[in-house]
Amino acid sequence: MLFCVVMAVMVLTLVSLKALLAQQSFAVDDLSKRIDALEGQHLELASEQAQLSAPGRIADWARQSGMRLPDDIRLLHAPDASTGPGGAGTSEGGT
Amino acid sequence: MKRPPLRRLIAMCAIFAFALASILVRLAILQVSQAQAYQARAMEQRVSTVTLPPWRGRLLDRSGEPLAISVPARDVYANPHYVTSPWSTAKKLAPVLDEKVKPLVRLLSSTGTFVYVARHVPVDVADRIAGMHLEGIDSIPVSARWYPAGALAPQLLGFVDIDGKGISGLELQYDSQLAGKAGSRTWEHDSEGRPIVGGIDVERPPVPGEDVETTIDRDLQYQVQTALAQYVRLNHATGGTVIVMDPKTGDVYAMATYPWFDPNDPGAAPVANQRNRAIVDVYEPGSTNKVITAAAAVQEHVLPLDRRLTVPWTMRVGPFTIHDSHPHAPERMTLGDIVAQSSNIGAVMVADQLGAPTMARYLSAFGLGRPTGVDFPYEARGIMLPLSQWSDASLATMAYGQGIAVTPLQMISVFSTIADGGVWVQPRLVRATIDGGGVRAAAPARTRRVVSESTARAVTQMLTYAVADGTGTEARIDGYQVAGKTGTARIPKPDGGYYTDRSIASFIGFLPAGNPKVVIAAILDRPTTVYGGIAAAPLFQTVARYAIERLGIAPAAPLPLPPHALPAP
Repeated sequence: MLFCVVMAVMVLTLVSLKALLAQQSFAVDDLSKRIDALEGQHLELASEQAQLSAPGRIADWARQSGMRLPDDIRLLHAPDASTGPGGAGTSEGGT
Repeated sequence: MKRPPLRRLIAMCAIFAFALASILVRLAILQVSQAQAYQARAMEQRVSTVTLPPWRGRLLDRSGEPLAISVPARDVYANPHYVTSPWSTAKKLAPVLDEKVKPLVRLLSSTGTFVYVARHVPVDVADRIAGMHLEGIDSIPVSARWYPAGALAPQLLGFVDIDGKGISGLELQYDSQLAGKAGSRTWEHDSEGRPIVGGIDVERPPVPGEDVETTIDRDLQYQVQTALAQYVRLNHATGGTVIVMDPKTGDVYAMATYPWFDPNDPGAAPVANQRNRAIVDVYEPGSTNKVITAAAAVQEHVLPLDRRLTVPWTMRVGPFTIHDSHPHAPERMTLGDIVAQSSNIGAVMVADQLGAPTMARYLSAFGLGRPTGVDFPYEARGIMLPLSQWSDASLATMAYGQGIAVTPLQMISVFSTIADGGVWVQPRLVRATIDGGGVRAAAPARTRRVVSESTARAVTQMLTYAVADGTGTEARIDGYQVAGKTGTARIPKPDGGYYTDRSIASFIGFLPAGNPKVVIAAILDRPTTVYGGIAAAPLFQTVARYAIERLGIAPAAPLPLPPHALPAP
């Protein structure tokens, strides 16, 4: 009798484990598919970003929108921090 | 009932025994002596291995913006064996693939079991084809190279072949890093190709290629190309080259050669457009070479800076007569005047005082006649005859930049040396490579001192004078002191001598002169406006304005003009 119970429990455990494994493998499969889909989406977005940010495209768009490059560029010198607001000092890097 | 004869029974038993024995023997042969061979054949049928191609790394600009990337695509193929009706299949495929029917029919009717129908097809197109369920037609996932900014620095970036292998430019130079390592998948399947659960399934994932971060500034490169195309048109030139470089690090911010091509469709333009002329082609530099003559004279103290030479318009050198670009009465000129007014005769007189061996030494020290070592395939070394082969006129012509050939990159490096206080810095096109393990900075650029800091400063003063009141006034920029030199070089004929109606106009300079942040070379090929000061200096100025804005270059304290005999501006 005891033997039968032990056997039944073992069989039940084995079947449950097998079912659990199968369930996990489905979950893994789903996750793999999701990873693939997200990777594909990432690639698509990256290439779209690359295309949209291409300087030629932006320049064309700007031109069509009536924008143009400035005729002259002047570099304004930010006042030196030590001289305070309105100071006469100069610093590099300001445009 | 009659019993069968014993002999028949024995005969039958013997036959059965023999048949059984034969089966046993055959079984023994199959299971013992031939077991391994059959096992191997069975495995061959059940187990398949496919190569998993690696993802090619990206080419990036110095801010990480993509210049070349790989995108998913499909190679559509056919097994003509299973294509029952090539005509009807081709008719269905042609409009989707944007191909003609006849060539497709030829492909689908060919012998063999595998033929590419179309390569690097967009994924959505391949999905549409899959949806048609055409017998014998299938596709393989691959990656295709794509240059999102189109014809931006195409000669520099290069391009790849249909199999994704770099065949020119940085794509070729860094192919081993960009390519990555292929992986593989081995799996056990049934006769229909379905995986056998619990069977062999081993995957060795591919190692993606490394990203290569270039020194190029994408936006500045675009502006440079726009300006170059504009000035080529304005001057009716046949082409041109512009390089923008950081004199301290040797980083090339922009490198453009016109005419260019679209690396997404390299076959559409002439092959000649694919050459990165800034690195692989040479030209005679003309008067920009006078900067070497002047630097050598200052460094060797052969001519005090305030010494005045009487410079005529023409001079006899061996069998040749050399002259300045425009007739003039004999003039008293300092070295500063000679550079500023770009006097050929003055340069020849200075070179005479230097002597051929010293001149040859300085030409070599500034990097002429040898490759810069920039990381680019097929870099030209230039043409500089060894001293032993110099003719009577060599010293004279080299003093003003004829009879010697350089690459634009070598020539900008000469000016970069002056801008960097006399230190030559190797130009570089790549800052770092990036892989899963992080960023690996490229080796720092090689450097060597060529002339002293004081010599470089004195030459810089001469170059500022050339822009302030010499041949380079068209390169002036309000608020900035620009140092630079014009060049107008005649083009040699293949069979000797020079064309009288063809020239290369150039202007190479840096700014701000007191604290150089950027060196720019502007070169136009055969402009109808002929002269460097007219054709190339305005191009330099336009590019310099872009560079000031893009790189945020602030003005520096101006340098004093050099001693000069001609009236100051």
